[in-house]
Amino acid sequence: MDIFSGLLLGLQTASTFSNFTYCFLGVLLGTAVGVLPGLGPIATISMLMPFTFGLPVDTALIMLAGIFYGSQYGGSTTAILMNLPGEAASVVTTLDGHEMAKQGKAGRALAAAAIGSFFAGTMGTLFIVIAAPILAGMALSFGPTEYFSLIVLGLATSMVLTSGSLLSGFGMVLLGMLLGMIGTDVNSGMARYTFGSPNLLDGLNFVVIATGIFGLGDVLANLETESSRAASIAKVSSLFPTRDDWKRMTAPILRGTGIGVLLGVLPGAGLLLSSFSAYALEKKISKHPEEFGKGAIEGVAAPEAANNAAAQTAFIPMLTLGLPGTATMALMIGALIVQGVQPGPNILNEQPALFWGLIVSMWIGNLLLLILNLPLVGVWAKLISVPYRYLFPLICVFTAIGVYSIRNSAFDVYLMALFGVLGYVFRKAGAEPAPLILALILGPMAEEFLRRSLLISHGDATVFFTSPVSMGTLLIAAVLLVSILLPAFRRAREEGLVEAD
Amino acid sequence: MKRREFIVLGGTAGLLASTGLSFAQDNWPSKPVTVISAYPPGGTSDILARLVADVLAAEFKQQFTLENIAGAAGALAGGKLARSAPDGYTILVSGSAPLAANKVVQTNLAYDPEEDFEPITVLAASPALLTAAADAPASTVQELIAYAKENPGQLNIGNPGAGTKGHICAAIIGQIAGIEVNHVPYKGSPPLMADLLGGHIEYSLDAPANYIPHIKAGKLKAIAVTSTTRLPELPDVPTVAEQGIEGYDQTLWFGIVGPKGMPADIITKINDTLKTWAALPESQALFTSFGVAAVLNTPEEMRETVAREIEGIRPLVEAGLVQPT
Repeated sequence: MDIFSGLLLGLQTASTFSNFTYCFLGVLLGTAVGVLPGLGPIATISMLMPFTFGLPVDTALIMLAGIFYGSQYGGSTTAILMNLPGEAASVVTTLDGHEMAKQGKAGRALAAAAIGSFFAGTMGTLFIVIAAPILAGMALSFGPTEYFSLIVLGLATSMVLTSGSLLSGFGMVLLGMLLGMIGTDVNSGMARYTFGSPNLLDGLNFVVIATGIFGLGDVLANLETESSRAASIAKVSSLFPTRDDWKRMTAPILRGTGIGVLLGVLPGAGLLLSSFSAYALEKKISKHPEEFGKGAIEGVAAPEAANNAAAQTAFIPMLTLGLPGTATMALMIGALIVQGVQPGPNILNEQPALFWGLIVSMWIGNLLLLILNLPLVGVWAKLISVPYRYLFPLICVFTAIGVYSIRNSAFDVYLMALFGVLGYVFRKAGAEPAPLILALILGPMAEEFLRRSLLISHGDATVFFTSPVSMGTLLIAAVLLVSILLPAFRRAREEGLVEAD
Repeated sequence: MKRREFIVLGGTAGLLASTGLSFAQDNWPSKPVTVISAYPPGGTSDILARLVADVLAAEFKQQFTLENIAGAAGALAGGKLARSAPDGYTILVSGSAPLAANKVVQTNLAYDPEEDFEPITVLAASPALLTAAADAPASTVQELIAYAKENPGQLNIGNPGAGTKGHICAAIIGQIAGIEVNHVPYKGSPPLMADLLGGHIEYSLDAPANYIPHIKAGKLKAIAVTSTTRLPELPDVPTVAEQGIEGYDQTLWFGIVGPKGMPADIITKINDTLKTWAALPESQALFTSFGVAAVLNTPEEMRETVAREIEGIRPLVEAGLVQPT
């Protein structure tokens, strides 16, 4: 199927009434959770996933994807108006966005963020259209050794790029891998770390873990800060960027888009890295770097473009290789498998309507978001004043129902509660939990591919270095890990991440 | 007299209440039924499980929700079924491994397929297919054997899970021909086929359905069929027996079971519905397109199939040809 008939098919799929409605619902919810601090896309998607099991697979995925990229838009609204990043990737936006708001330029900052995001979203979708079929065609040349190396790279990246100390990042990845070991060994059928409990034989369901850590954990952490939540919302003035604004933000949006598109594909890197890198790049090449942190529109436009571009292209490894680059993508894979679709190179041939429908819906969704976010920004700002005492009980109920309905298991609800407490502890300890979730998914995959590689090669470990793709990937991972030890890089990383805190 | 009648009635009511299930059976299914699929989406076993769920849902006007529990050659799914309530609301559709072979192949199996399951029916059967990557050195069974003898320990044959029929078929070829086979387990057919198409593994022994289109397109080489008759879709592909391994006859089958103690009338309902449906010409055509033939025997006949399968594999395990895991 060539690209044009593919896009046509996608348009047919995405423009059906129900798919369009669920796309709208997805981006609406996404914006809402992006706006609300303490409720991120991971928690929302894991909570809502069980409710999508009854929908057709394309509709379910279109809605879940809408939540994901929609939250990128919503996150910037609170970042600019209240200095509160609604979700992690918006942290950078607070630096200049809120400064602009303080100077009475909130409307222009919001416009810069929305326009940047829309342009980047469009480019990101276009990139998927071109790159995904190519990568899917190459996917067959990816054997177990290549997959293993890619996973190692993903784990290394997620470790290096987590906020907080490196040691805690390493610890979280390790803990995630250990938790992933629980269950029945695929090659031999042996039960591992189950303590004789049949509930653990199938392993830990990561939706349960993610809901616990991100849903309940956030509720617990936010309960603590509830009283100190100062709701000073900046006034929104004119939404129209001036001619000077356009001149200053065009190039940063283009550069941010480029960075986001490329980094989104990299497994483990995710949105956070793309917005940080885009911000750092703009600051470095700007003629007036002293304005950064004091309300430079470039510092809003570039990272917002970058994180939204990455939010689109993060779908590429998931759709073409069946490899989740981020925790959110891991959830999407879970949603696909429940619906009987095995993510991987065959998706393009076997489920063309799903693949192209999703891509076209992403573009439609971005358009909807532009409309939703600019004129309605006042409504969203009001959402923040919803008292948490109404919100939290609702979240608790929905997480419990959602988790129970995955496999009608009360054990899972207890497990979620346990990980909710753990999530709170992680937050107190300053340990970012996203690498744990990613490692929980990627760890068992890494084991499967490692053992298969070695079985096929009759125990010869040099296969990882004789395949060029595998060798290259491992080399990048090694460089990444070694670079942490270099003082210069370490300082840059810490500066970047501390600025954000 | 009256008093006595009362006691008898009361006793009967109590008995009925204590079994409980007898009441519920009449209107089965009154709530959604879970159909466990023991392999990941896309493989023959999973396609059949989805088909069964659809057919039963249409007949009984009730939701039959599919649940994929893949891994450990179906042992996870089998364990899950054995732990389920025998109320007719959980059934398992699967290839034969978790229904039979696992009993002798897996030493730590959490259930006993003969003791913990109620057979419902063998749904379909088919030979397995020995397939090679397009650039693999061997194209016939004899070439394969010659290669393995020249390169001891170097012959890799992928299978869709340890203890699956594909694994056992390959082990028997190795036993008869006296060659060493390095068995590589996968999580079901789709990832195995992807690796075969990419040339990452040279040979596979697996259910034919997924492979037939690629063989017809010339992207994979079919080496041999494991039954005594050739496959109608691949009339040019000889059987293993035809290629010098006399008496070789292995078929793989897909069955449906419920947990031990599942009410007999529900078993009959499911068996009858599927039997009627499978007799339709369009259903037959559907089975053929998956590379399998419909069987639909009685629960008793299935019980014998299971026992025969287990007894056939036991000597292989005892001789160390299939490594117990």
